[in-house]
Parts: sequence; structure tokens; C-alpha cells
Amino acid sequence: MQTVQNKDASHEEVHIEQELEFSTFYRLHHWVRVLSIIVLTATGFYLAIPVIAPAQNPEPTNFMYALFRSWHLIFGFVMISMFIGKTYYFLFVKSNRAEVKSIKDIFRLENWAKQIGYYFLVTKHPQLTGAYNVVQFIAYVAFYFISLGLIVTGLILYVHVYHEGMGGVLYDSMRYLEVMLGGLAFVRELHHLLMWGTILFVVVHVYMAIFNAVYGKEGSIDSIISGYKWHRKH
Amino acid sequence: MKPHTEVSFDKLYKDFENRIKDLEKLPRVKEEGSVEQMLTEKGFSRRDFMKWASAITAMLALPSSFTPLMADAIKVVDRLPIIWLHMAECTGCSEALLRSAHPTIDSLIFDYISLEYHETLMAAAGWQAEENIEHAMDKYKGQYILMVEGGIPTGLEGSYLTIGGHGKKGIDIAKEASDNAAAIFAIGTCSAYGGVQAAIPNPTGAVALSDVTNKTVINVPGCPPSEKNIVGTLMYYLLYGSLPALDVYNRPKWAYRLRIHDLCERRGRFDAGEFVESFGDEGAKDGYCLYKVGCKGPYTFNNCSKNKFNEDTSWPVQVGFGCIGCSEPDFWDTMGTVNEPLANKLYNTTFSGLGADATADKIGVAILAATAIGVTAHAVLALVKPPKE
Repeated sequence: MQTVQNKDASHEEVHIEQELEFSTFYRLHHWVRVLSIIVLTATGFYLAIPVIAPAQNPEPTNFMYALFRSWHLIFGFVMISMFIGKTYYFLFVKSNRAEVKSIKDIFRLENWAKQIGYYFLVTKHPQLTGAYNVVQFIAYVAFYFISLGLIVTGLILYVHVYHEGMGGVLYDSMRYLEVMLGGLAFVRELHHLLMWGTILFVVVHVYMAIFNAVYGKEGSIDSIISGYKWHRKH
Repeated sequence: MKPHTEVSFDKLYKDFENRIKDLEKLPRVKEEGSVEQMLTEKGFSRRDFMKWASAITAMLALPSSFTPLMADAIKVVDRLPIIWLHMAECTGCSEALLRSAHPTIDSLIFDYISLEYHETLMAAAGWQAEENIEHAMDKYKGQYILMVEGGIPTGLEGSYLTIGGHGKKGIDIAKEASDNAAAIFAIGTCSAYGGVQAAIPNPTGAVALSDVTNKTVINVPGCPPSEKNIVGTLMYYLLYGSLPALDVYNRPKWAYRLRIHDLCERRGRFDAGEFVESFGDEGAKDGYCLYKVGCKGPYTFNNCSKNKFNEDTSWPVQVGFGCIGCSEPDFWDTMGTVNEPLANKLYNTTFSGLGADATADKIGVAILAATAIGVTAHAVLALVKPPKE
């Protein structure tokens, strides 16, 4: 831990200390997912309703839709690897107990009252043991399941486009899930609706990150880039 | 999709031969004439007949050496008694099969097979018809093939459908007929999944045939199904004496294994991103993909592009109209508006008419806008009254 002296406007001495909040894996996975979500959403809107017409070409060498689909699939598989990686990281990485500790926090009603009160600008931020506050943690859990839904529906759609290789291996199990969900058309619809869930999550997530950076004054935006946040030393 | 397990075609050929011999021993249900005689009378040459036999052979994925066997098999088709039931339906499946301008060999064979009971076709009426079905079910107990057209209403304990002078409920007839059948085929989307009358809100509580019987039901969906898929399913049963390999919705794999999209002649246009924007535009003239004008081929499993309709001349996508997904479960509800892509499916979000008939994207943007307003309001509030530290 490094301590840095700082003088604020009132010339009162404030000591702050550095804390490693996000590991390299955590930060890397976060930004890879940011990129993937952007690419997947953009290409996904095109795949739903192809709004761009390819340049006229007398040769049969246009593959615009196939190209969009390829990028969609590539980043879809990146998301799957991130999902698996993050699940492993959350559950099994020893140096990452702070995330798991958040589970305990959500069972205390006081944490909820104080957290919601803080967002309504009436109470102080609760003292928490875990990495995330309770509202944040539930939002992340919801996003986890939205991702899972997108992955499963995405794979069901995938096996019908690529029948060989991995598509062939997954075909039977995915068709079983397809029937459970009520047919391919609904799978496609669900995939689209879950994307909207992701979009809304991203908007609120980005706002809350900015809000906490501005008022928390702990450099929490910087921490997802550098890994470190700053505490006032008591 | 795994490759089919290797089968010895020599063994299969012998099995089929034996099966046909066994069937030959059975008494003819029809006394007069034979299939060949009937076809000659209707003006089909032997050459036409053999062409048709080779087409059915190919459709069932059998080698061409099986063609003579197929021709033999059709000659014993009148040994299999068939009971055809009409439940809640429009008779479109029967009509599609029987009322073609120039009857095809499929429809003639269908006409010829031993239909012991078929409400549209039979000459009998009233009590005589009642007697016919009771007689057929009794005489051919455990031997007949049951083909059912139409969904089974279960609302009001099944009272939405009563048939005949005894006022028997459709559900009871279907159950009774299924219990004593050797094989059960659900012909058409209604009997396979409930169909249009099972669409939301489904006032009559219509369900699929497979929902009212414990026996295996082979679904041959479509609205109507291609006559080749109906006759092909029958021929399969006749030759193998067993039920075909089925997909997840109990449809014969030889017909419903792949999507319309997988077998589509416009698939190249799809991958190229060349789409018809509106009916009659330049793209439509050039045969562009119909995805943007609502083709549901990517969500529909059927072999329309292989079989075609109207004497093998054409099929919907070929004439420039997208697939409506008629062979899928609940297609009235899940496929959205006919001439719109699935992304433009409308939701009944009638908040006093405020969000009537909105698409997912419209609703999404509305919620997004509300979120943006909420976020901005929160930010402004926090500026005025910062959060407690």
C-alpha cells in the first residue's frame, strides 16, 4: 500500500491510500465484453432487419449478410469464453473473495435500505464487506442470466446455420432446448428481447459508474482501467 | 447432424420384399380393380407410374435400385385399412390432396387406398356413416392406420366438437380411434399442434392429437402439408412396417429434417445481403431474398423447395412470396405478421391504446428513453442535493 499526501482546497492535509480493486483478468474481461456487446448489438440489429444494401456487383461475390453474421458469431463465441472465464473466476479464484462476499451482504435488510436511500440522496452509503453494493450485485446477477439466455438462444440459432463441427456436436441438445422454449421463432424472439435487456443494463451501469466516480471520489472509473482505486486514509 | 448410420441395403431390400409378400397375403380391402388398372384408366402410362415410384424412392432416401420394389409396394397399398378422421379443421388438407386441377399419382393413390372412413369422400351419410366407422374400427382393430386432420377441442370438456347422430365428442372419437390403431398420423398443422383454432386466446381449448393419446403420433404438419409428405409417410410405413426416424416434434426426418432456409434457392441472395424491400421492386424481379418482406423460412422445417406444389411447378418462395412458417408449432402466434420480418412482430401492449401493436424495438426504445430521462433527472437532482458522504 502506498500512501500519497494531497492538499485540497482548504489546505487541510488528506491522506489517501491505493487499493488494488480489479485484477488484470477482471479488467481485460470487462473491456473485451464491452467491445463484444457493441459489435454484437450493432451486427445483431443488421441481422434482424438488414438495413444496409451491398454495393451493386455483377459477380456473385457479395457476402454482406454472411459477413455480418460471421462477426456476430465470432464475438458471440468471445462472449461465451468470457462467460465461462468469469464464472470460473467468480467461483474458484482464491484472490477474488471480495465478489463472493457480496452474497452475504444482500441478506441484510439494512444494506438494502441504506443503499436505496443513498441513491435517493437521503442516507449514507452502507459499510459493506463485499466488492459490490447490494443493488449493484443483483443487477450483475441479472445480467449474468441475461447473458446465459443470450448464449443459449444464440447457440440454438447457430446449430441451424452451421451443421458441421461444433454445430453438429451441439445439434441434438440444442434442438431439445429449442422445443422446451417453444420453437425456433420464439428462440429468435427471445434472443432479440434479451438484447434489449443488455442495452438497458449497459445504460444504467455506465450512469451508475459515472455517478459513483463523481460523488464517491475514489477514482472508481479509473480502477477499471488501471486496477487501483483510492481510499481516504483514516 | 450426424450422418445416418450405415444400413445394409441388401438386407433392407430383402426385408421390404418379405414385407410386401406378407401384405400380399392379406385380403384386399377393396374388391374391384387394382392400382395399375386404376392408373391406366385415368390415363397414366406405366412410364409415368415408374417415374413417380422413383421420385418417392429418392424422397425416402433409398437407392434407385429400390424403385421396382416401390412400384410393387404401391400395388399392395389397398391391403392397409385407413381411417381418416376430421376434427376441428377446414378440410383443406384433404382438399389440397384431392382437388388438384389434374390429379397427380399421389392424389389418385390416396383416392384409391382403402379409406374405410373419410367424411368428405365417403358416400355414406347419417346412421350408415356411424355404422361404417364402428364397423371399420371393430373389424380392423389394431391393424388400421389412423390419419387425423384437425385439432382436438378440449374446452367445455370437449363439447365444442360433436360429430354424428350420437353426438359423440371429437376428443372421445380421437381417443378411441387412437387406442386401436396400428399407426397414427396427424395430418396437417391443426392435428399436429392445434393449428389456427389453438391460436391465442384458443377459445375452444384446441390441442394436438398427441396431447390426447399416449401412443406415438407421427406429425405431418403443413397448412396444408405437401401431398408427397402424406403419401411418403404412408409408403414408409407400408415398406418398413415401422415408424420413421422422427425429429424433435415427431415429424419424419426425411421430410422435416432441414429448414426451408437450408433448402432455399434464394439462400445465396440472403448471404449476399440482397433483399426484396417491397413486393414488385427491382430486387423482387431479380429473385432477391424475401427475408425483409417476412419470409419465415429461417424458422421453419419442411421440404417445400424439394417437393413443390401444383404438379411440381412451383412453391411460395419461388413465386416471390415468403414462407409463412405453416409447419411449425403455434405459427399463428410465434411467426408475427405475415409480410414483416420477425423483428417487427407486434406485441399487445395496449396501455389504454398508448403502446398498441408495438414492436420489440419500439418498446425497447421507449424504455430506453424513459431510462435516459430518469438518469438525467437523477444526475440533476444529485447536483442540487449531492449524496451523503
